Amino acid sequence: MKDVLADARLVLVKVLDETKGFWRHSLAGYLIASRNLIDARVFVKYWALTWLSILKLILGLILRRGPLALIRLLVHYPWIFILLRVNGLMNRMARGRTGIFHEALCLTVHSIAVAVVDQLHDIAYHLESMIINEDLVPSDIAGAMGLKAWIMEIMGIMLPILKPEADLQYIDAAENAGLNPDACSLPKAAVGMVLKRHIPKGVAIVSSNMPCDAGAGSYAMIQREYRLPIYRLDAPFHFYNERAEQHFARDLMAMIAWLEEHTPGRMDWDRLREICRGRNRMLELELELWDMIRARPAPLAGEAVILSHLWHFNVTPGHPKAVNHYERLVKLARKNLEKGEPATKHERYRAVLWNPPFCHFVDLFKWAEQTYGLIMINDSMTYNHHAPIDTTSPETMLRGLSRTILQGPMVRHTRGPAENYLDDIFRMVKQFDLDMVWVANHVGCKTGQAMNGILREKCRAKKIPLLILDYDLMDPRIVSHDNMVRQVEFFMDNVMKAPRLNQ
Amino acid sequence: MAKKYFGGCDVGSTTGKAVILDENGAMVASIIVPSEIDPEVTSVQALEKACALVPGLASYKDLSYLVGTGYGRNEVVFANENISEISCHAMGTFSVAPSIKTIVDIGGQDVKTISLDGEGAVLEFAMNDKCAAGTGRFFEAMSRIFRMELDEFSALSLKAKKVIPVTAQCSVFAESEVISLLAKRNPPEDIAAGIQQAVSKRCFSLLKRIGMRPQVTVTGGCAKNQGLIKALTKIIDMEVAPLPVDPQIIGALGAAVFARRKGA
Repeated sequence: MKDVLADARLVLVKVLDETKGFWRHSLAGYLIASRNLIDARVFVKYWALTWLSILKLILGLILRRGPLALIRLLVHYPWIFILLRVNGLMNRMARGRTGIFHEALCLTVHSIAVAVVDQLHDIAYHLESMIINEDLVPSDIAGAMGLKAWIMEIMGIMLPILKPEADLQYIDAAENAGLNPDACSLPKAAVGMVLKRHIPKGVAIVSSNMPCDAGAGSYAMIQREYRLPIYRLDAPFHFYNERAEQHFARDLMAMIAWLEEHTPGRMDWDRLREICRGRNRMLELELELWDMIRARPAPLAGEAVILSHLWHFNVTPGHPKAVNHYERLVKLARKNLEKGEPATKHERYRAVLWNPPFCHFVDLFKWAEQTYGLIMINDSMTYNHHAPIDTTSPETMLRGLSRTILQGPMVRHTRGPAENYLDDIFRMVKQFDLDMVWVANHVGCKTGQAMNGILREKCRAKKIPLLILDYDLMDPRIVSHDNMVRQVEFFMDNVMKAPRLNQ
Repeated sequence: MAKKYFGGCDVGSTTGKAVILDENGAMVASIIVPSEIDPEVTSVQALEKACALVPGLASYKDLSYLVGTGYGRNEVVFANENISEISCHAMGTFSVAPSIKTIVDIGGQDVKTISLDGEGAVLEFAMNDKCAAGTGRFFEAMSRIFRMELDEFSALSLKAKKVIPVTAQCSVFAESEVISLLAKRNPPEDIAAGIQQAVSKRCFSLLKRIGMRPQVTVTGGCAKNQGLIKALTKIIDMEVAPLPVDPQIIGALGAAVFARRKGA
């Protein structure tokens, strides 16, 4: 009898071990782990809404174009299967968080999922009016011209968030094709996707010299591979001046003329005005959100703030759904603030993440939060503070967009004097009452590497604890997750002298 | 009433070190043992040998408080607490030389630089733990090429009349570079000095990262390598302050100081 029980126990342990991924990512696993009925209800709601949106796309495609169209889509873009893990991502992020923060995370993941479904819809139905749009070229313009913008880098960013090793095949393909292995892994992933024909081809490419040589260089390979006409915007190195803004605005105008020549798109200035107004509204809401998260403890933080900006400001700026998302997010934050309810009960430390995020290890934020009570308030990619766009005339709108891009994250931080990089960091430290700064030291980013020494000296002088965390943006083989955790542990234990929450 | 003793055990990749302090903070025993495959075995061996040096202390189990440190610290399961070696090296150094503000800890498998405040707390640190170049393992590999023990290799480098730069930073490439330099009949002492210089340069870049301030000292087993100390002194253009105790036991000493603070 004892043997039977022991065997049964062994089998049970083995089954649990082999299905741990399922329990970690599935609805069933979430519900079993959840200790809060309201949170569970919120989770199930967004889980169902996301699936509904996916199923709507699938059914629509089958009914309108037949099952073969769906199969063709899946064969051409096999990463769609990875996107289906979106509710698993929501599970990873939301589990262990409660209340409004939990709801904000579910809302954020869901809103991005719906926007991704919209993008897939564009691939399925509007390829003839699709252009490849580099992530730093304002996609507002394509939207106003009735074109569908496929942000070239976006899947390279989103896929590792869902599955850490998702980009590896693309990175390897790009390196094998001759792209410098030392280059940033994001353009490598983008090039790899093009080489494997996993990116919709579209009818034209709009690119730029932003933010770095690797990014700019990758478009030569992309253009060669897809044999598409390309327009390259020229962002000046020194841009805090009238002449630079005018130059970039003229360049945008020339790009519009070029797009009208090479694509079916036609500029509709009223539509651009609507988009800019939407963008302005998003900016207004985001500033309100930043103002609220200054409170200590913060009513919202982490991925809800960071991922919202990452997608909605870069891919769907000014879109009614993006505006709506920010309205709901702000409402949630306000609710928490008014009730005096923190995002997490254990907030002890506040940090920002500077440089591109840990795409293949977003879970690090939750780990730091639950281990040390450290909340990530904001990040450099989100911190795009600028004046609203003046929508009076086409000229003022283009000037406003120019300023938004030139003075925006990545572009501002990789151009001009070191102050462009440093000032924002110290402004954030003050604005959000931070205890430390984390620099995501992407080893493929030479510009970022070059800034570390200066940043160390400045932080030392200002007595701001600084963690420079080595990692690679898209490739977990360069610095493993364990190593990243260890770097944080060393810093928190030795420099911050931070006791763990369980101690 | 029986005397209280406090222990620190630093389980490194090459050696295990144990230090025992009495209730007044005086060091009553210290020991260094070669590391076994199992870090727990190493820690038990080091602690038992250290305890044997203290009359009236039968076993490490009788220690009032024990702190484990080093890469294998998590395997010292019987310790009351584990503290990172960075904090322990800082505390150990501060306890014997409070004027030190910067430490270079060259261990068997990594190099760390640590900046201290006026109370022995860590302000900043930088580490090279991704490659063997510049670590104790690197020196082991280099001295093997010269068919020498480490102390002989160190002494050899001190005899150099000039320094032949060894450019490779990677242990594997440095090995082939040194072999070819020897094959070309370059004086071995000059090549040895070149190796010391290469490691010192590596330490220097780590020191720059944390904002080196005087006084600077070196801890870890490699601190006994006088050739390295000479090369480092030249590169940082600053005296490397000697420590009044064996620099190899500093991590264990720091752990014992923490143990005394917590267990007293």
